[in-house]
Amino acid sequence: MDELSPKIEFKNVSKSFDHNSNAEKILEDISFDIYADEFVCILGPSGSGKSTVLGLIAGFIKATSGKISFNSKPIKRPDSSRTLVFQDYALFPWLNIIDNVGFGLTTKTKNKNEIRGKALEYLNLVGLSAYKDHSISQLSGGMKQRVAIARALCAEPEVLLLDEPFGALDQQTRENMQIEILRLWGKSKKTVVFVTHSVDEALKLADRIILIGGKPGKLLYNTNISISRPRDLKDSELNKIRSQIIDRLAQPEFSMGSGI
Amino acid sequence: MKLALIRIGFYAILFVVWYLIVKVGEIPNYILPAPIDVFESFYFGFLKGGYLIGIFSSLVRVLIGYFLALIIGVVTGILLARYYLLDITFGKSILALQSIPSVAWVPLALLWFGITDKAVIFIIILEAVLPVALSTKNAMKNIPLNLIRAAQTLGSKGLHLYQNVILKAMIPELVTGLRLSWAFAWRALIAGELFISGAGIGQTLELGRSLADMAQVISMITTIGVIGFLTENIFFGSIEKNVRLAWGLDAQK
Ligand SMILES: Nc1ncnc2c1ncn2[C@@H]1O[C@H](COP(=O)(O)OP(=O)(O)O)[C@@H](O)[C@H]1O
Ligand SMILES: [Mg+2]
Repeated sequence: MDELSPKIEFKNVSKSFDHNSNAEKILEDISFDIYADEFVCILGPSGSGKSTVLGLIAGFIKATSGKISFNSKPIKRPDSSRTLVFQDYALFPWLNIIDNVGFGLTTKTKNKNEIRGKALEYLNLVGLSAYKDHSISQLSGGMKQRVAIARALCAEPEVLLLDEPFGALDQQTRENMQIEILRLWGKSKKTVVFVTHSVDEALKLADRIILIGGKPGKLLYNTNISISRPRDLKDSELNKIRSQIIDRLAQPEFSMGSGI
Repeated sequence: MKLALIRIGFYAILFVVWYLIVKVGEIPNYILPAPIDVFESFYFGFLKGGYLIGIFSSLVRVLIGYFLALIIGVVTGILLARYYLLDITFGKSILALQSIPSVAWVPLALLWFGITDKAVIFIIILEAVLPVALSTKNAMKNIPLNLIRAAQTLGSKGLHLYQNVILKAMIPELVTGLRLSWAFAWRALIAGELFISGAGIGQTLELGRSLADMAQVISMITTIGVIGFLTENIFFGSIEKNVRLAWGLDAQK
């Protein structure tokens, strides 16, 4: 694998959904690259097509036009090299916690001990090994999201996709989880694509911010942030990036609800 | 404790009133026997008569019909969920079929199969298949899309996806369908058995009528109620409750 070629590549990607025999354009002419080990935030107002971008990367949504590659090969269908964490967790309610975490491994091996061992390792990583035999309904939102992250990591993906993972959590839990996800990323050194609509969350976390906005969603901005973490949101360079983001979102042709 | 006492009191009063009505009203045995006559019928029927054999034959019939209905119903439900054209044509007529009571099928079944077990099993299948088909269809359509997507990104596909996610996600709704279907099957069994020969609860009931043995009629009606209650409420009820608990649909106590 050529170290310099992008891990994920979007080339002039457009996506339309059929709405009662009308094609509604959701994404228009999006191009960007994501490199190995990067922590990329996809930022944009709700409805701008961020989840659609993640679905395209995961492989359960097909592009209408353009090219999407993963390791220089076209993405055909979902597989465990790109795992996804949902805002609503999407944990399997009929499995207890450790079996949820180990789910991805059950597609690869029948060795129960190996699966349990690995799952426990990842539960440990998110600090929940004490809860391994609990059922999903016994957990708080923050704990559920930790389980979902452990489950996604336990499948040993190359890319971890997160769709507004902390959107349903209270402020305190959310801040803890932000620290947590950076720690996990630092440890596992995976490529992370993190979707959020919060500018500050993106500024705190990202190596790079890809801004999508408008209807249909277009690429508005693609910028690196090379400030070391933990970051102070009052940092002057972050302020500069923030105002550039807000500027671009405020342009009339890109703001929400316009461009009908 | 208090509840139990109230219930015992209720039945005691019921039997006393029943007894008084029969005695004071001098009602003939074939219209309404006294409670003791019914107990006697139970006692001898179970001890010496054919009650147990009848119940056993009936259970065999209903179980055969029910399991055939399950297989047909699940397959039909999956087809309905997957093929839109089938759903808007056949799927719609299912609702009309469901409003036909099982006795309405009896003449047809008797002409096709004669007064045999097959006729009863046919009626049971007709009745029991619909709730299973409908609940299978709905269960399949109601699977949260994100659960399937999550599983797919974790590497699950094909048979693994069906066994470990799709089927599992369907189970709570399916169990409710199975329970309803059993209730239908049980009613269809009795309706069908009234018309056929051989051993069975329905036949014993019908025999009671033809001998003007009202005690036997009442004991069979009671038997139907008790078995129905035990299976529908106690057996399926507890399965349903446990599944809902395990799936986190009801809060743990
Ligand atoms: N499967 C779909 N069919 C039709 N429209 C869809 C579908 N998925 C998303 N959309 C539409 O695409 C737009 C963008 O959706 P989404 O990608 O979820 O945005 P975001 O995640 O940024 O909020 C929304 O208007 C949504 O209604
Ligand atoms: Mg979204």
